[in-house]
Amino acid sequence: MNPETLLAILGSLAIGGLAAEFLLRLNHPMANALSLNLTLVAGSGVLMAMGGLELAGRYGYTLILAMIAFTLIFLFSPLIFFPLRRLVAVIKFATPIDFLTFRYRGSAVARIACVCLIGASLPLFLAQFSALQAVLQFNLNEHLQLPVLVAIIAAIALINSRAIRADTARYLSRLMSASTFLLLVAMGVTVWLCIDNVFGGIEAMNDWVESTGQTEKMRIGNPAYSIISMFLIASIALPLNFNLLISNQISDRLSSSTAYVYPLLILLLCVPVLPLLWAGSILQPSLPPQDYLYVLPALLEYKVVSGLGSASILLLSVSLIASLSIMLSRMILNSFVLPNKALHRQPKLDDWIAHRTTITSIMLVVMALLVDTRATGLGITDYYLIGFAGLAQLTPGMLAALYLPTVNRDGFLIGLCAGISLWFGTLVVPMFSGPWEALEAYTGIAMGMENWHIWSIEALLVNVLLCTFFSAFRNMDSEQTYYARLCMADNIYVPARVRLDQVSVNEVKLSLKRALGDNAVPEVNNALAILKLELDERRPAALRQLRDQLSASLNLRFGVLAANRIMQQTLPLRLSAEKEPDDIYLIESMLAIHGNRLTGLASELNKLRVHHREILDNLPIGLISLAPSGEILKWNSAIANYTQITAEFATGSSIADLAQPWQAFIGDFVSADVPSHDGVRLLVDNQTRWFNIQRSIAHNQSESNADQVLLIEEQTQSVMLMQSYMDNERLASVGRLAAGVAHEIGNPLTGIACIAQNLRFEREQTKVETASLQILSQTDRIDRIVKSLINFSRGDKSKRKAYQHVNLKQVIEEAIELTSLGDEERRVDFFCAIDPELGIKSDPQQLIQMLLNLFSNALDASPDYARVYITGELLGDIIEITVSDRGIGIGKEVRDRVFEPFVTTKEPGQGTGLGLWVVFNLVSDLGGSVSLTSPARGSDMGSTAIMRLPCKPLDHTAEYDVETRQQETL
Amino acid sequence: MLNYRLVAALILLGAAVLPMATQWAMEPNGSWFRPFVVWSLVILSGYIVQRHRVWDES
Repeated sequence: MNPETLLAILGSLAIGGLAAEFLLRLNHPMANALSLNLTLVAGSGVLMAMGGLELAGRYGYTLILAMIAFTLIFLFSPLIFFPLRRLVAVIKFATPIDFLTFRYRGSAVARIACVCLIGASLPLFLAQFSALQAVLQFNLNEHLQLPVLVAIIAAIALINSRAIRADTARYLSRLMSASTFLLLVAMGVTVWLCIDNVFGGIEAMNDWVESTGQTEKMRIGNPAYSIISMFLIASIALPLNFNLLISNQISDRLSSSTAYVYPLLILLLCVPVLPLLWAGSILQPSLPPQDYLYVLPALLEYKVVSGLGSASILLLSVSLIASLSIMLSRMILNSFVLPNKALHRQPKLDDWIAHRTTITSIMLVVMALLVDTRATGLGITDYYLIGFAGLAQLTPGMLAALYLPTVNRDGFLIGLCAGISLWFGTLVVPMFSGPWEALEAYTGIAMGMENWHIWSIEALLVNVLLCTFFSAFRNMDSEQTYYARLCMADNIYVPARVRLDQVSVNEVKLSLKRALGDNAVPEVNNALAILKLELDERRPAALRQLRDQLSASLNLRFGVLAANRIMQQTLPLRLSAEKEPDDIYLIESMLAIHGNRLTGLASELNKLRVHHREILDNLPIGLISLAPSGEILKWNSAIANYTQITAEFATGSSIADLAQPWQAFIGDFVSADVPSHDGVRLLVDNQTRWFNIQRSIAHNQSESNADQVLLIEEQTQSVMLMQSYMDNERLASVGRLAAGVAHEIGNPLTGIACIAQNLRFEREQTKVETASLQILSQTDRIDRIVKSLINFSRGDKSKRKAYQHVNLKQVIEEAIELTSLGDEERRVDFFCAIDPELGIKSDPQQLIQMLLNLFSNALDASPDYARVYITGELLGDIIEITVSDRGIGIGKEVRDRVFEPFVTTKEPGQGTGLGLWVVFNLVSDLGGSVSLTSPARGSDMGSTAIMRLPCKPLDHTAEYDVETRQQETL
Repeated sequence: MLNYRLVAALILLGAAVLPMATQWAMEPNGSWFRPFVVWSLVILSGYIVQRHRVWDES
């Protein structure tokens, strides 16, 4: 072996490795894009380094069309890879087999597709081994070839072991980038040397091409269309393309660079092919065109350049063997081993999987090497053509998964099995055993590469036809239908609002432990970190997200089959008798992320959605949308302001997760069968606030499964204002009473003064005692009047205590007494006909204020010495109190408005017009009603005020419950 | 969502432009590098299409 060539090979490998390492470490978008595309080019192995030369030698310009077709998949990635990436962003797939299994469901799909993919990839392995052997044969003596080949296989085993335990994608990316980098340099230098040394320059070469009619010889021939089709179709199913482009480590922007950088690199590798072929036709080497990359420089005595070409081919074949074997071994594990494995019994699960993957990948390499010893007489191009024809069999199923929801599992499997069988029988078997003469005689068409262009297309057609036929005539079950729709290219994944048995992260961990053992805890922690959730998370929507994230993560680690089994065993979804509604919260999130991708009508509808959302968000009243399960779907900004609970926290939570007093307030209302609840008093941060709450039911669903919309409006300001008016009105009453009070206190004081004067001269003990009793009686009277006035003047609604049982007659008599204080001279007689035992549960001060206002009005309306009749009667749960006077009555024009504020029939300065308004509000507050009739009941004059009060004021019970609970919490 | 403009471009390319371009590129009297010129234009169109894409992550 030439030491110069050996040194060049070793030096080139080192330089390639360093260049790839530099690119990866640079971590610049352009460097990343270049590295990704260099890796992708290496994914086709020695196709460009050797197969391309052979292909161009055989079929001329067909190479260029085939390579354009091969790269078109990246140009049209928005149609294939981007929909896949969107799906992968939620579901996660480790391999193309996982994607097919996810779409078509069932272990049979995983196993059959896996076997087919391994079978179709076998020729690609053989092509790499052929390239290795060719390079070794050219550069090494015969006795060194086998040991070096064994050393290379050992190196591949080592690379696999390291790559699987480290970050596989990144580790192999270095190797593959280096190989393509070397190939680019080798191609460029070799073609420049050949043009310069063989032709004497580009212009001379062009003249030679023209003069010898080379372009005519390059014209595409018969099999061209089959080759172009197969290159195009196979590129979709090429495992490395799939794995790299759906990898979540590669951003959308980076993957989009494959639309132009990857074809550009392939173009750069294709341009030298024709000049090299022409140079070869002049130099006439003994080896076929596939070896020109290192043969031609050697013939021109450029040993270093020959070594460079050899090194690039070595590295390309080694990197493809390593990456392909790792990918296939993962597919084997995911499809055959992990679905039935008791994973919880493996304490070091990752190590166990890595170990099994390494062993499987090495076994695959050894198996391919053994198969290679049986295959003879085929060039690298032949292997690629056979391999691509096999890979193309998987493409219909993959495309159907994205675009044809009616294609079912039976159709996919039968089509795939038939197509791959025909491919195997007509193209693979002849690789080893020569043509099937009996079959050839029967069909009249030769097997093997001679008719590759016929068999490759026919196998694909059989696949597609059978798939179509069986899909059309066999029904899909509901599971297949669901996943078929989910995988559609224009579908956005919308998880249903299903329910989990687990209600906390700890429960999720405990459940997952049953299947994963100690591996469950880091798995859940990792998912929590990705979702940015806390360990104490209990929100149903967040737990559903956690489940989805865990499912995706398990898909990636163990494959779809094993992940499905684990999720069904440990975190099953609770099945509902009714169809679960979509998860509105997640739909919103998805549309927020993907909204810019919508076009046409969908885009307009999305704008409308955003507009409506903004309206709801900016409403000045609080809005809550509730699922039937009590889960909060919408929490607008007003309610967030009221409660100081953010929409991020509340959305997806259930009512029970809210802080007090909101939990009790909203929860009680939701469970109560009332349409609204007004003036509910809450103690929030030691401040009393009032709220109105009402509900509406969504009309697009059945009543039992309907979402509820709650509207909550803060009434604190208006209640405070009303309270202020009431207090003013009460104080005004106190003022009006003041003169009467002075008079009422003055009388006993005069009496006391007289008794005291007489007492000075009284010596008889019995008379002194009588006088002192009289004084005490008079002071009692004063005390009663003062207390009554003080009680009446107090009335802060916000500080009131619980309702108490009061005797109605006593309250009415107290109110009469207070009323009389204000009008001593009129001598109007209040006649009270009420059962002395009649009681009511109420606030006595409020009751007195109401009665005082009614009595004052009756007093003002009555003539001197008239009588005001007061009655009280129990009517079921209602107590009806009437106050009738014999005054002038109320005119029609104001009768309907008497309960409005500032409406009065009195002279200016005589009344505020707030008395009946206060009565109305206080009665409403107690859950009662008040009305006024004129003329009075049973009379043709005057008027009657009718007040109906509930014995038990129900609407305020809830209010106090809330407050009591709040106090308990505090 | 399905990119209808891309599908339309694909149909146009497949039905009209590609046969014409292939015929021009592979004319017996033409330069040998014509197919590469056509390919370069395809790559350029790919670059232009991708440059105007709106990305989810941006």
